[in-house]
Amino acid sequence: MDIQFKEVGYAYKGFKELYHAINNINLKIDQTGEFIAIVGQTGSGKSTLVQHLNALMRPTSGKINILGTELPGKKKLKVNHLRQKVGLVFQFPEYQLFEINILKDVAFGPSNFKETRAQAETYAKEALKIVGISPTLYEESPFRISGGQMRRVAIAGILAMKPHILVLDEPTRGLDPQGKDDMMDMFYDIHLTENKTIVMISHDMDVVAKYAKRIIVLDQGSIVYDGPKTELFMHKDFDKFHLDYPTPMKVLNHLHETLGYPKKLVLSNEALLKHLKEVSK
Amino acid sequence: MNIKIGQYIAGDSILHRLDPRIKIMSMILLIIAIFLIPVNFLPKNIIWMVSLFVFSLSIVYLSGIRMGKVLQGLKAIVFLMTFTFIIQLFTIQPAGETPIMVVPMTLSLISIISLVVLTFFYHYLKPNIPWRTTWFFLYVFMIFLIQWLVREFIPNYNLVFSLDYDFSIYPSGLIRGGFIFLRIIAVMVIASLLTFTTSTIELNDGLESLMKPLRIIKVPTYIFSMMISLTLRSIPTLLVETDKIMKAQTSRGADFNESTLRQKIGQIIALLIPVFVISFDRADDLSNAMEARGYIIGEPRTKLDVYRIKFKDIFILSIVVLIMIGLLVSNFAL
Repeated sequence: MDIQFKEVGYAYKGFKELYHAINNINLKIDQTGEFIAIVGQTGSGKSTLVQHLNALMRPTSGKINILGTELPGKKKLKVNHLRQKVGLVFQFPEYQLFEINILKDVAFGPSNFKETRAQAETYAKEALKIVGISPTLYEESPFRISGGQMRRVAIAGILAMKPHILVLDEPTRGLDPQGKDDMMDMFYDIHLTENKTIVMISHDMDVVAKYAKRIIVLDQGSIVYDGPKTELFMHKDFDKFHLDYPTPMKVLNHLHETLGYPKKLVLSNEALLKHLKEVSK
Repeated sequence: MNIKIGQYIAGDSILHRLDPRIKIMSMILLIIAIFLIPVNFLPKNIIWMVSLFVFSLSIVYLSGIRMGKVLQGLKAIVFLMTFTFIIQLFTIQPAGETPIMVVPMTLSLISIISLVVLTFFYHYLKPNIPWRTTWFFLYVFMIFLIQWLVREFIPNYNLVFSLDYDFSIYPSGLIRGGFIFLRIIAVMVIASLLTFTTSTIELNDGLESLMKPLRIIKVPTYIFSMMISLTLRSIPTLLVETDKIMKAQTSRGADFNESTLRQKIGQIIALLIPVFVISFDRADDLSNAMEARGYIIGEPRTKLDVYRIKFKDIFILSIVVLIMIGLLVSNFAL
């Protein structure tokens, strides 16, 4: 089972003409084992693309097959079950909280899919455990905890639906460095333990370089690169993608320009250090 | 979202370039004029009503905005207009007049059953019909047609029970209904033209300027105008935020389109609470940001937009004033 995009395009109705947010997207995302980062400038169509993954938006041209459901399909086609299969976490998800206590809020998703009350609460507790919210907080109001905790609760709200694929729209935006690492480690754990596919939008190339296996680069609504991260940062057209290098690469590039150090793909501080030691020998 | 009021359509027509104060004054005068026309059979009043109606439609052409766009805004009140029109026909039945036509009708078992069938039929086909407003009018017409057909052509129509009545149309009812119908359309068209051709900033400046005389009696007009402009400014932000929250909750399985009433209430709460939280946050941020830029409520500030009355402004206003005077003279001959 997977998600397949065939020549997918989406056009907004603008004031006078159509505005093509994405066009001619061909894509295949497996249900298991992938960790994909979608990168690109602001306005390149990343958010539009991921909202197609759980049928929040339906393509205006082309076809999408989401785990067996063909889209755009008929106008009345029921797509609610896709929201359960593909869990989408929006930017600043803490704003979606509304219930009187944390447990109830997390159980909102599963209860929408007609789980029994006991089952929904079990799922909610499991999800809260994964995101690291302690049981003492379950009865607390979601508006009385810290911002970082609120985001974790909101993410638990998606995890509690037991999605097959997890889609994250800038999950680390607005978090401090430590919070960022903790958050990403949590997602990486989920990815490793359940072999769950994770698709994430990010502007932070350090995060992308550290966690993603496959990178999709969007530019003005089209995919300009889709492949392993190891090739992206050595790509001859990298400058045309309007992307930033991860910090270790930036350091090495600077050393290359000023002191003539040889270029190499280094994605972590350790790799950079190792490379520098080898060179200095 | 289908919200037409307060939607500015950029353009460069004469209406767009008018001074906002003149536009607001003209709108108020025109609306007063439309409501001042007495409802009676006098030909001059019928002529006044029809010509003001035509006048309001013709300024749509002056604005360069498509007629369809303006009429779209009327869709929301189609039901109200039809309802009032029919109520007028039913209730205005003066004793001294002879009805124009008398249609025998009945509410009996047969006609009620056929009305229920008709209603199902209407709602069943509604989603697939492009011209819904016409479809609605057709439906209303059919409601009466069925009652008449049953009474006229079915011999045993009064099976089990029947409530016979005559639907008689009197000239006064027709005139009243027609007047109200034209009035509502004309007023709506004029009001929406004002918002279509005036940006919210201009509108606010115009209102503030017109309210200036109130300052003499110590009414804090600057607070009103700042309140109005901040409210207008926050509407699009709120719509965007609502849309985001709606998507987020949809991603958690909330189905805003198809659900029972009980589920709907739950989902509205899931939508309203986050939107409230966000709007308080945003309002707080905005007020802090304004204070950080030196805004103190009530303190004198330099006005950035200066409007000057030009010849065309005086011209338009004098046309409207002439209409008003003509109406007053012809009806309340001084």
